[in-house]
Amino acid sequence: MNREKVKSPVLRMVGITKRFPGVVANDSINLELYPGEVLALLGENGAGKSTLMNVLAGLYDPDEGEIYAQGKRVEIRNPQDSMHCGIGMIHQEFALVGNMTVAENIILGLKEIPFVPSMTEVKEKIKELSKRYNLKVNPDTFIQNMSIGEQQRVEIMKLVYRGANILILDEPTAVLTPEEARDLNRIIITMLSEGKSAIFITHKMDEVIQFSHRVQILRKGKSEAVCNTKDVTQRDLAKLMVGREVLFRIEKKAFNPGSVRVKLEHMSAEDETGRQFLKDISFEIRAGEILGIAGVAGNGQQKLAGVLIGLFPVSSGTIQINGKDMTNKPPIQMIRTGISYIPADRIAMGIVGDMSVAHNLAMKKYREEPLSKKGILHSARILSFAKQMISFFNISTPEPSTYVKFLSGGNIQKTILAREIDACRGILVAVYPSRGLDVGATEAVRKQILEQREKGSAIVLVSEELDELIAVADTIAVMSEGEIMGVVDAQTADIEELGMMMAGVRRRSS
Amino acid sequence: MRIVLAKRETRSQIISTLVPIISFLVSLILGGIVLAFSKANPLDTYVYMFRGAFGNWMAFSETLVKAIPLMLTGLGVSLAFRIRFWNIGAEGQYVWGAIGTAWVMLYWQFLPVQALLPFSLLVGMTAGAIWAGIPAVMKAVWKVDETLTTLMLNYVAILFAEYLYYGPWRDPKGYGFPGSEPFPREAWLPRFLGRAHWGLFIAIIIAFILFFVLTRTKWGLEIQMIGKNPDAARCLGVNIKWGIIMVLLLSGALSGLAGGIEVAAIAHRLQKGIISGYGYTAIIIAWMSQLNPIAALFVAILMAGLLVGGDQLQMMIGLPAAMGLVIQGLLLFPLLAGTIFTEYKIRIKKTKEV
Amino acid sequence: MKKIGLILLLLFLACSLIFAQEAKAEPFKIAFVYIGPPGDLGWTYMHDVGRKQMMDVYGDRVDVGFIESVEEGPDSARIMRQYAMQGYDAIFATSFGYMDYMHEVAMDFPDVYFEHCSGYKTADNMATYFGRIYQPRYLSGLIAGKMTKSNIIGYVAAFPIPEVVRGINAFTLGVQEVNPDAKVHVVWTNTWYDPVKEREAAIALLDQGADILAQHQDTTEPPKAAQERGKHSIGYDADMRQFVGDSVLVSPVWNWGTYYIDTVGKMLDGTWETHQFWGGLTEDAVKLSDFSPLVPQDIRDLVADKKAKIESGEWDVFNGPIYNQKGEVVVPKGQVMSDNDKLNMSFFVKGVVGRVQ
Repeated sequence: MNREKVKSPVLRMVGITKRFPGVVANDSINLELYPGEVLALLGENGAGKSTLMNVLAGLYDPDEGEIYAQGKRVEIRNPQDSMHCGIGMIHQEFALVGNMTVAENIILGLKEIPFVPSMTEVKEKIKELSKRYNLKVNPDTFIQNMSIGEQQRVEIMKLVYRGANILILDEPTAVLTPEEARDLNRIIITMLSEGKSAIFITHKMDEVIQFSHRVQILRKGKSEAVCNTKDVTQRDLAKLMVGREVLFRIEKKAFNPGSVRVKLEHMSAEDETGRQFLKDISFEIRAGEILGIAGVAGNGQQKLAGVLIGLFPVSSGTIQINGKDMTNKPPIQMIRTGISYIPADRIAMGIVGDMSVAHNLAMKKYREEPLSKKGILHSARILSFAKQMISFFNISTPEPSTYVKFLSGGNIQKTILAREIDACRGILVAVYPSRGLDVGATEAVRKQILEQREKGSAIVLVSEELDELIAVADTIAVMSEGEIMGVVDAQTADIEELGMMMAGVRRRSS
Repeated sequence: MRIVLAKRETRSQIISTLVPIISFLVSLILGGIVLAFSKANPLDTYVYMFRGAFGNWMAFSETLVKAIPLMLTGLGVSLAFRIRFWNIGAEGQYVWGAIGTAWVMLYWQFLPVQALLPFSLLVGMTAGAIWAGIPAVMKAVWKVDETLTTLMLNYVAILFAEYLYYGPWRDPKGYGFPGSEPFPREAWLPRFLGRAHWGLFIAIIIAFILFFVLTRTKWGLEIQMIGKNPDAARCLGVNIKWGIIMVLLLSGALSGLAGGIEVAAIAHRLQKGIISGYGYTAIIIAWMSQLNPIAALFVAILMAGLLVGGDQLQMMIGLPAAMGLVIQGLLLFPLLAGTIFTEYKIRIKKTKEV
Repeated sequence: MKKIGLILLLLFLACSLIFAQEAKAEPFKIAFVYIGPPGDLGWTYMHDVGRKQMMDVYGDRVDVGFIESVEEGPDSARIMRQYAMQGYDAIFATSFGYMDYMHEVAMDFPDVYFEHCSGYKTADNMATYFGRIYQPRYLSGLIAGKMTKSNIIGYVAAFPIPEVVRGINAFTLGVQEVNPDAKVHVVWTNTWYDPVKEREAAIALLDQGADILAQHQDTTEPPKAAQERGKHSIGYDADMRQFVGDSVLVSPVWNWGTYYIDTVGKMLDGTWETHQFWGGLTEDAVKLSDFSPLVPQDIRDLVADKKAKIESGEWDVFNGPIYNQKGEVVVPKGQVMSDNDKLNMSFFVKGVVGRVQ
């Protein structure tokens, strides 16, 4: 990794400013990228990382600023221009067509390809590149049959096939297993040795330390600092990113459980085709207890949460809430028992993007007084309620009447959190509540959940991060393929043992 | 220099009002070009069209006659569109409204004659509601695509109405011509200006009630939630199936009322010729009014004015009927296309010298 | 405030421009409301021919407008109102379905003359006019009866209303007169003017074995369909042989010019009175077109003979004995059907295959 300082930058952005209504997303940011290096772009959600990179990718037009590639001034108006400058970006959402093969996906949208391309040539080139960069991509495989990690490698293939020498990766590891993440790192190192360079967007400090040579930190649309990775610690980065000292430790009061609030007995559920996605699940949660649900994504945790609020029917077994049988009751009745729900997919399930922040905040309480009376909404009270929530939960929005979709990811999550925590009457179901959040927001979310615990709520916390579960939960249940593999006390939990159960090994009964 | 189309983050009030006005001017110019090519003086033509539709009270009353069914069907369609239920079936619901109303008017004459009108309109609304309820239930329960079902049901309704007035309901004194007996004169919906009738006030009152319901009530909030994000609405305890069915019953009832009022006030019988595509024009009205009930009233009058004024192309200018339709289409097109500019903005950027 | 004043001023100016009516002596204004386009080469075409003949006679004294393709529904009332409001002095409506709407408008505009073609409702300012097209239809039936080989004659018919039923019956009486074995098969289209539906009905009849098609429709589609199959046809409305070819043996045709000239003349000199005109061959309201060269001389002679009898008033088509489809006597021998019964005719005579719906 010998970066020669004397080399001129392969890419230079000068004074980039991009404004959105009410926000300056990028405020005269300068950025340099040298050949053969990995630059980490670190920042909280809404700091302007993605905006800045989308300018490079030709998706946004900057309001001000200049871009130089290989020392020459360039205009990037659209993704084609970006490609001509040798820039390629991999977004969090892949742009692949599922029912087409790798080779077909790679030539899709390529202008230079003749109308009837010679697929043999294309495939040959893919095979060659695959070998060179250890991408392990077979040109004839259909995208829909590939794992997320493999699809990401196809995206990388797409870029190298098109001759990109600057790769931009938007939170590339968010969707990967640790193993796949290590593979990705290896691939990138190979590319660097050929003089290519990479920018990767992240908010995880450990990745910065692990993967990058230099790190540039953005905060609130401004460039906060640029430093050599080897000169900084995680704590330094966190402080630069958040703008203050961050506590990595969680203050938690002693476990003091009350009566049983949620009780599942031999509960199973199946989908329309009769496939069981939850099998024989039994557990209890008491007031003041946090039950952590661990497991690799897609092993039934989200479905379990859905069943708890009545989104999916139960095929056998029972659900009791506060001692009453609530099996197969619709969501509205579940909500009336005082259950609150923070869904995994916030934008799809948690909010109505095309409605105001105020209305979104009121969506749990609009049915009753004081927000409505005899079916008629009380607009003034909704507004004052919303203002109260906005200031209490520190949601940053231009106006209570702003559509929620214009808020940043973190503030959307805060809006949901505010609504659900405020309406919570004894039970909280939170699915990946800190996923995608930066350090500051994560801290706030955990604080809120613990506060609910102290108020005596029974809480289900679904998380992929074992550290989080161990720190926050009182008991941890591990799920694999729709079944609970075992339940352990969080204080005495052993990460290794949890890992075994996540992989499907049932806990030895003790 | 280059031109960029960028999505607007917020809707500006000025743009929302300015765009339709500019689109309208563009429409006039486009129509003018075609008129000029057909050797008609565009300016004169527009003056004739305007006079024909709004020139005096009698002309305006004819425009209102056309606007009333458009208002009611437009309101009905807008309501369904608010929950993203693509109800293309307003035509069929309108026809059922006419059938239901005619049924009471013709065969329930044991009722006191004063009760005939309100009762018949109520039955018409119910018939329209049921006709919209069928695809609503199919969508809510079995997820059957509504665009097809509503469209197909239009044909069923129209053919059934034809069967009635060609067959069992045909006026025995009507010299065999297709059409039912006329309704009792005392039960006709009264007129107040030319042929313009009380349906106008009914439509206006309904529009204001709808506006209130949509913006100020719990149900209105839920309709917004279902329309804009059904998954989130479900998580928040809104009963989606019930919501779809209720909204569509109301939507169908409004179109049904349009049909009922049309036969009770204008045709006074169930007859060929009452089915003239109001349910389809309603779709245009819903779009142009951006689903706003109050705006729908004005758009309906504008649309009716275009249709009524369009007669003048034949009557005064002597253009063939087909040409009249071309001009009407041409005048509409920029108005519909114009909505893009309320969603997007054009920016002209100067390219700096490199 | 200044701005509002300016806007009001502009509005006022615009309105005064638009409403300014030029006040000068105008010619007698006449409007025609058509069911189809004049280009249909049938019903509307013939009215339009009559309108032009009338205009040639009166020249500058009349100002004539027309509107085409007006549906027989509430919209027709609007059209007639608009004409009346715009100062038209006389309105001719040329389809049955306009009758009730015209009657309603006539009540509201007592100073305007209303003329309705083919209906029965009249008022002080509303008259009806029609023609005894059944007379030439009978004559064309003689030709069809003589010339059919399959003894199956098709009849594409619009609506099951007395006007159409009367035509079918007259035609069938002609057919049966010369060929008691021949049958007339009727298909209803429920439209006056729809090229596609008419063609479909014609093809259905040809498929049943018809070798001659007659019609009560306003387009040339049935004769064209027959010609494409090498079959003959009887036209209607206009001499369709001009547009299709010699396979059209003959056409019962309308001749509105005479009536239009006469009635407009009465309007102009103030002698118009309400009436119910029902003119036949004698009054020149209807005609039989020239024969196709395919019609042999003996048949021409037969037709000429019957025609002379009708024109002389010595005999009319619906003279007894007339039998219905069941073979029952409807008009006994020696009796003549009254005009009222003809206008309300709702049964088929012997020899017709089909039902009055």
